[in-house]
Amino acid sequence: MIKSVEEYLDLLKAELHGSDAATIQDALADAEEHLRAALANIREAQPDIPEEEALNQVIEQYGSPSETASAYMEVERRTVPQLTRETPKNTSTLGSFFGVYTDARAWGSLLYMLIAFVTGVFYFTWAITGLSLSVSLSIFIFGLPFALLFLLSVQGLALLEGRIVEALLGVRMPRRPLFTAKGLKWLERLKLLVLDKHTWLSILYMIIQFVFGTVYFVVFVTILSFSISFIAIPFVQEIWREGVIMNNDIRYYMPTWSYPLLILGGVLLWTAFMNIARGLGQLHGRFAKSMLVTD
Amino acid sequence: MVDSSTLNKKFQKELNAGIASLVLLSVLNKSKRPMYGYQIAKLLDDYSGESSFMKQGALYPVLHSLEGSGLLESKVEPSVSGPPRRYYEITSEGRETLGEWQSVWKQMKSFVDRAIKGA
Repeated sequence: MIKSVEEYLDLLKAELHGSDAATIQDALADAEEHLRAALANIREAQPDIPEEEALNQVIEQYGSPSETASAYMEVERRTVPQLTRETPKNTSTLGSFFGVYTDARAWGSLLYMLIAFVTGVFYFTWAITGLSLSVSLSIFIFGLPFALLFLLSVQGLALLEGRIVEALLGVRMPRRPLFTAKGLKWLERLKLLVLDKHTWLSILYMIIQFVFGTVYFVVFVTILSFSISFIAIPFVQEIWREGVIMNNDIRYYMPTWSYPLLILGGVLLWTAFMNIARGLGQLHGRFAKSMLVTD
Repeated sequence: MVDSSTLNKKFQKELNAGIASLVLLSVLNKSKRPMYGYQIAKLLDDYSGESSFMKQGALYPVLHSLEGSGLLESKVEPSVSGPPRRYYEITSEGRETLGEWQSVWKQMKSFVDRAIKGA
């Protein structure tokens, strides 16, 4: 006999052990939403029914934890995250090197590298401000509700970052927030959040994201500028008669025979970077998942 | 010999795999407003009467998968009591697909009926 919704959720989580962390989070959220709605409904119709009996009626219709788990695992095998449709495999090495231009994941990673700079700065500011205010205000009575609000905002931002990561990097992330037990006093909720490893990992992620975001942005802009410069040198020299390097009044020109090499070099540099960016994006996605998703 | 209730369960499960998508799309197509999971489950209970064809918990992963294929869209809204609810709504792509599925279902049904009757 299952005695509470929490117990059902724990059993369901145990049954789903080994499947995708995001699937587990979705399954728990669905079950909690449904069981609580159904319980409220029964209680309205039969106010005198014992809690446990009502719950077991509900579970009888919803399915046991193992039945529910197997339904999710069945469907999960067929669900593909956004933007990760299989690209046609190019057999030749050269083909797969240049095939990166048709790969949505590579473009997604590039976009992510740009966005990470903005979000990284914001996360960092938010985390540091929130942390220091929470700590310093905790000597006042209103410091604790402030800390609770801050930690809740961290949960929200972690979910948002998960949505960005899934859309752009194609790594499956939770689609719904995890619910905490209902009917808790806010002080108890604060305690739960403070004791949850996941909260601190999310804050750590928000701080580290500043470094990652900056590095991604700098590398992106640097390589883009170099690639465009290499490709542009022949045109600038031939059309505007400007030198590659201008030092005082001395102009240095690249020889004409190097033009094809320069253009080729620029194109190769950018293509190589796109390949690296795709890999980096996947790595970052895995890193984000390990930090932001409760297992 | 496997006992008959296990066999029945297995048969029911295999049948449900495709039918659940058809049923959920139809329900959301008929509905004028977006619906959340428990509402859909209650409505299906009314349709199925005494016999229950599938566990309500099995509806949710199908809803997720339909959403993943772009046939449904959803939004989360806070509820007065309990956790926030996810409301599902059919997309225009979903309506188109439903039309095709319904004709497949009609053909399938008459084929199975004829096979059972043997006429």
